[in-house]
Amino acid sequence: MGSLTKVTIDFETSHLIFPTLIAIVLGLLGLAIVIRRRHEIAGAGTFWRDTFARMDKLRFFGALGLTLIYFSAMVPVGSIWPNTGLGFLICSIPYVLLTGLLFMHDRPFRDVLPLVIVALVAPTLVWWLFTDLFFLTLP
Amino acid sequence: MEFLSLISPLFVALVLGGTLIGIIFGAIPGMTATMAVAVCLPLTYSLGLENGLALLLGLYVGGISGGLVPAILLGIPGTPSSITTTFDGHPMAQNGEGEKALRIGITASFVGGLVSLFILYLFAPALANFAIKFSYVEKFLIILFALTVMAALSSDMLMGIFSGFLGIFISLIGIYDISDGGNGEMRLVPESLAYWLDGGFSLLPVLIGLFGLAAILEQAEIGVPKGQTRDEVKIGGKSSFSFGIFKGQIVNLLRSSGIGTFVGILPGVGGSAASILAYSNAKTFSKHPEKFGKGEPSGIVASEAGNNGLTGGALVPLLSLGIPGDSTTALLIGAFTLQGIQVGPLFIGNNPDTWNAMIFAMLIANIGMFIMMYVAIRYFAMVVTIPKHILFPVILMMCVIGAYTINYGIMFDVWTLLIFGIFGWLAVKIGIEVAPFIIGFILGPAAEVYFVKSLESFGDVSIFFTKSWIAMLLWVLIVASVAGSIFLARNKKKLSEGA
Repeated sequence: MGSLTKVTIDFETSHLIFPTLIAIVLGLLGLAIVIRRRHEIAGAGTFWRDTFARMDKLRFFGALGLTLIYFSAMVPVGSIWPNTGLGFLICSIPYVLLTGLLFMHDRPFRDVLPLVIVALVAPTLVWWLFTDLFFLTLP
Repeated sequence: MEFLSLISPLFVALVLGGTLIGIIFGAIPGMTATMAVAVCLPLTYSLGLENGLALLLGLYVGGISGGLVPAILLGIPGTPSSITTTFDGHPMAQNGEGEKALRIGITASFVGGLVSLFILYLFAPALANFAIKFSYVEKFLIILFALTVMAALSSDMLMGIFSGFLGIFISLIGIYDISDGGNGEMRLVPESLAYWLDGGFSLLPVLIGLFGLAAILEQAEIGVPKGQTRDEVKIGGKSSFSFGIFKGQIVNLLRSSGIGTFVGILPGVGGSAASILAYSNAKTFSKHPEKFGKGEPSGIVASEAGNNGLTGGALVPLLSLGIPGDSTTALLIGAFTLQGIQVGPLFIGNNPDTWNAMIFAMLIANIGMFIMMYVAIRYFAMVVTIPKHILFPVILMMCVIGAYTINYGIMFDVWTLLIFGIFGWLAVKIGIEVAPFIIGFILGPAAEVYFVKSLESFGDVSIFFTKSWIAMLLWVLIVASVAGSIFLARNKKKLSEGA
């Protein structure tokens, strides 16, 4: 019995021991979940169709799309003026404004104006705070 | 009393400022104390450890407390931990007793916070002193126990365990660090991503994605609710509040605070479980259980004392064992990491001044929360009307700042934020439990080191069962937590079938 529990750890491959063990446990748990929830898994198509039907697609995918563009644009814009953090500032202003407009239900001028002010002030304040006060470089 | 030298006007201002911001976050439905801490974390970069913690602890206490405002006035819990406050608070508000209900909740929150702080102060150093004696074997088993407790208390135990192990698996991506005793080899990373992922996913972008971006995606999915107008928020003043209401509530207050603290000590369980357990106990022991759910002040007392009791409780395992008690304290680990401090059994002994400063910060936060909310409750009531179309884009921008600056300017961390934001949104849909996942992610690397080192040292798997009586006791607790969960789930199933 004693020899069955003995293990020798090879230092060269020691980085694989724990991930392999966790992967095996995850595989077994995954299998148990698949067996127990087989009916739910079989009906997954309906679930996702319903989710998609109920979803506010414009706001959800709009927010995701704007975020993707925002992240992608920051570095190229920032590289025009390196080490100034202007990539962050220049991209954040339209991002805050457009995301805010996207999340609004009605867009009367008296509601849009505060958003425009916030879109100009908030990124500028954060940019100043981090570049001039904290000395942390933004894109 | 050397820690008093750390208490500066800035320290107090940060605690109170954090508490104020936390209350505002908590008061806005859809925003949580966790999100408040996640968003404000980058502000601590240049503050130093004590001042940074002052801000974050203020945010934590304020965030949990602020949730009672919309729970009572709108019937919408501002944070998940305020869910049971809606049961009696909202009926009271509908009956024109909104202000009275709010003040009952604020006072109960204050007592809950103080009781839990007292228990934290007594219990954490004792537990840490005990845990110092733990070897790698016991440390590994403690992590395993934390994961099983969390999973056992999840809505679905199997998914809870799976989520915890998934968190561990993802935390292992990257190099097996030499500084941890590893061999410096990379694993689980495709070659094309090796440059970005050699250190694995950074903790803070993962946390900010899961608790910041994912929450906003959830709101975007349902169309970002319009929010309330000032006319819709009626605080009411039909009957006035007096502290005499608490006559006969002392037992309820202390019991609920104790339950909240105990639930907080259990890793990863969260405030909603604390308030639900405190509320159901108050109802069980009440002479008038039929009044609960119809505007019974005892219900608000139980719920709010319970969820604020969590604040001190959740810090007990964090500061004594290095295991976060809930999602928000998981973020506090990030703050410690930023300052190069490792939390665990040695933390309190090695950093007594920081420990005392934390206790002092929690005390100021609780007193500040009580005074601010009690005096200015009518103004906090208006916070629920702040439009989300202004708040959410600014929060998204702050999330980006937090992720980008964590490693002093790595754009991959921003993409990590997006990946885990989407994952967090998706996780809720497919039943992955975020709390066990994140605790697994945080504790995974330590679990690996303890596991491998135990085997390297002893060369025998049986050591995990035979090392000491503590190891054996931990196995008993692990088995009991799983068995208890199965038993409870079966009972619940039988009850639902019988109904």
